[in-house]
Amino acid sequence: MKPPILITIMFTMVAGTTIVLTSSHWLTIWIGFEMNLLAIIPILMKKHNPRATEAATKYFLMQATASMLLMMGIIINLLHSGQWTMSKNTNPMASTMMTIALAMKLGLAPFHFWVPEVTQGIPMSSGLILLTWQKIAPLSILYQISPTINPNLLMPMAIASVLVGGWGGLNQTQLRKILAYSSIAHMGWMAAITPYNPTMMILNLMIYIIMTLTTFMLFMHSSSTTTSSLSQTWNKTPLTTALILALMMSLGGLPPLSGFTPKWMIIQELTKNEMITTPTLLATTALLNLYFYMRLTYATALTMFPSTNNMKMKWQFNTTKKMILLPPLTVLSTLLLPLTPLMSILD
Amino acid sequence: MLKIIIPTTMLIPLTWLSKSNMIWINSTTHSLLISLISLSYLNQFSDNSLNFSLLFFSDPLSAPLLALTTWLLPLMLTASQNHLSKETIARKKLYITMLTLLQLFLIMTFTATELIMFYILFEATLAPTLIIITRWGNQTERLNAGLYFLFYTLVGSLPLLIALLYIQNTTGSLNFLIAQYWVKPISTTWSNIFLWLACMMAFMVKMPLYGLHLWLPKAHVEAPIAGSMVLAAVLLKLGGYGMMRITVLLNPLTGQMAYPFLMLSLWGMIMTSSICLRQTDLKSLIAYSSVSHMALVIVAVLIQTPWSYMGATALMIAHGLTSSMLFCLANSNYERVHSRTMILARGLQTLLPLMAAWWLLASLANLALPPTINLLGELFVMMASFSWSNTTIALMGTNIIITALYSLYMLITTLRGKQTDHVKNIKPSFTRENALMALHLLPLLLLSLNPKIVLGPIH
Repeated sequence: MKPPILITIMFTMVAGTTIVLTSSHWLTIWIGFEMNLLAIIPILMKKHNPRATEAATKYFLMQATASMLLMMGIIINLLHSGQWTMSKNTNPMASTMMTIALAMKLGLAPFHFWVPEVTQGIPMSSGLILLTWQKIAPLSILYQISPTINPNLLMPMAIASVLVGGWGGLNQTQLRKILAYSSIAHMGWMAAITPYNPTMMILNLMIYIIMTLTTFMLFMHSSSTTTSSLSQTWNKTPLTTALILALMMSLGGLPPLSGFTPKWMIIQELTKNEMITTPTLLATTALLNLYFYMRLTYATALTMFPSTNNMKMKWQFNTTKKMILLPPLTVLSTLLLPLTPLMSILD
Repeated sequence: MLKIIIPTTMLIPLTWLSKSNMIWINSTTHSLLISLISLSYLNQFSDNSLNFSLLFFSDPLSAPLLALTTWLLPLMLTASQNHLSKETIARKKLYITMLTLLQLFLIMTFTATELIMFYILFEATLAPTLIIITRWGNQTERLNAGLYFLFYTLVGSLPLLIALLYIQNTTGSLNFLIAQYWVKPISTTWSNIFLWLACMMAFMVKMPLYGLHLWLPKAHVEAPIAGSMVLAAVLLKLGGYGMMRITVLLNPLTGQMAYPFLMLSLWGMIMTSSICLRQTDLKSLIAYSSVSHMALVIVAVLIQTPWSYMGATALMIAHGLTSSMLFCLANSNYERVHSRTMILARGLQTLLPLMAAWWLLASLANLALPPTINLLGELFVMMASFSWSNTTIALMGTNIIITALYSLYMLITTLRGKQTDHVKNIKPSFTRENALMALHLLPLLLLSLNPKIVLGPIH
């Protein structure tokens, strides 16, 4: 699309999220969400095929419903507390509605069905924005209302998300669907810790965004959207192969890579709050996630898939794709574990 | 401790910046020099005061394991030269980097004070091992082997993380040197039973315990020689070391919880020894013999007497050297015949007499011939388990007989008898291979002169 239009749309999208992040009046928060939604629809439809139309429509319907539910919660809150600011949300009905609305926006189970469909229908760069930038606004609201969230509502959603994210991704070969299920599972981890220590949710969000950005950019770099095309990266860019190996292990939460830090911190906070079976369940189910990341690693770096001879002799051109900040992001998404004490700056 | 960690880390730039005809020489020499540094830690003071910093310490249990780990890296590099000779230079450097990274994590694991750091590095050793097995193994079964290895260990160790964090919240610190003084006896409630299980299952899987040992034959057989060496010699000992550390925090519940695992280990050591008698695959035989020896270590750690701890430590070091040597010998067969089937390469004594001498000595060490430290370990464990319960002597004695049986079976099948036709044109033994076997055997024989180094913290 033409550059001026793209800049306007991007600006609206960023402005929408910024308005959500910085406002204390519930109405402006809702306005920010709507700005964000309307601006991202053209981005989801960068390629004009029916699949993208279907994905954009599903996304719009889902998010609009969630925004309406959020507005309902806001109005109930207005009714019971008499004011529009974010600080006092003590009415349980309002809090429940807001939590469910935010869960729908994030793609937490049982409202997760749209995430794989939408992510699959859109180009990789739009998927990148969908799975990283779009999570910031709902999670910031979740952070701000976290003292009043009913844990009995959020914890089952979180556990169900991790389970769905693990089992759903097992049968996928399309990379975008794999990343969608990965997003569902990570959102589950983030939701699990929000009632107890929202700082860890921010930590998990930061590390998740860094890792997912890197993953998407590496996949875009090798122009692969399926596992079998990913298995040809050893010939196109051998370095990407090694990076995908390290990154998949980090996404799966293997020490000593940085993907382990949020899991460790979340388990620590949950055990401090006397919950033992929940972190055990979450941690063990995250191994399902690790299984399909390992499968990607096997396909890319550790084995050579059957291919024709033409595929084995490719020219290695300089890339012309925009890989913004890929090296620093890669380093951050794998080597951040020794800097764990640094996260106290998030408080 | 940094005087070992930083040189080991710098082995990686050394490998990548060396000329292509110097990579093996540089990395082997420098890793030998690093192992000489670690030998200085064997000089332990009697008041267990060898603390280097808040993060690292060394006591009579971890110092021999550290020396074993650092000694093994040059041996692994020496053993890998042949099967990597046809690879590109970048892949050779990558392999050496993986081995060095694994070495680094292992060094830090054995000397960590904080149990969470121990956990992180314990898990970190999985990734380079997985890469070595899956990328450089030889058969298609290696894919399954890598996955079994990774997931068995991870499913066992995630509850360990949660248990460690719980213990940190209740006891206040997981620094091992402090926690052993602050520990309170834990009673027999359901939640404490699960705590005990969560703490111990990770190490049981790693040892491995008999019922959870399915990953081991796969991983050992499919790994290339350096992978098999490090798996058998050091990674299994991580389980034993971890168990000896964590049981400090788990008394007196261990007295009751240990029974099922003792039964599994006692029965398992006989079962796996017996399976060795029916193996056709040479590496699989050595892998099952590892399970059998480690079952002895599990029995020793679980009955928690001073003699059994001494026996467990001695057995770990002895088995590390012996098992690694047996894998090197099996690999020297594999590189010539390109098959691991035992009966395909028979009668090697007339063709390779010096290698036959190494085979003999390794098998004699494996069956715990006096005065090797293998015997010392097994004898101490046997005596301790006899005092724990008189009936175990029957099982232990049967195990010793069957161990002798399969070791001699392996010896006779590979060395004696008429040669098969296709071994008549194998290459003679390289000096590198003879040096490798000598370097494995020399510490083992020297330790039989002064075994108190490897007898652990009780001595």
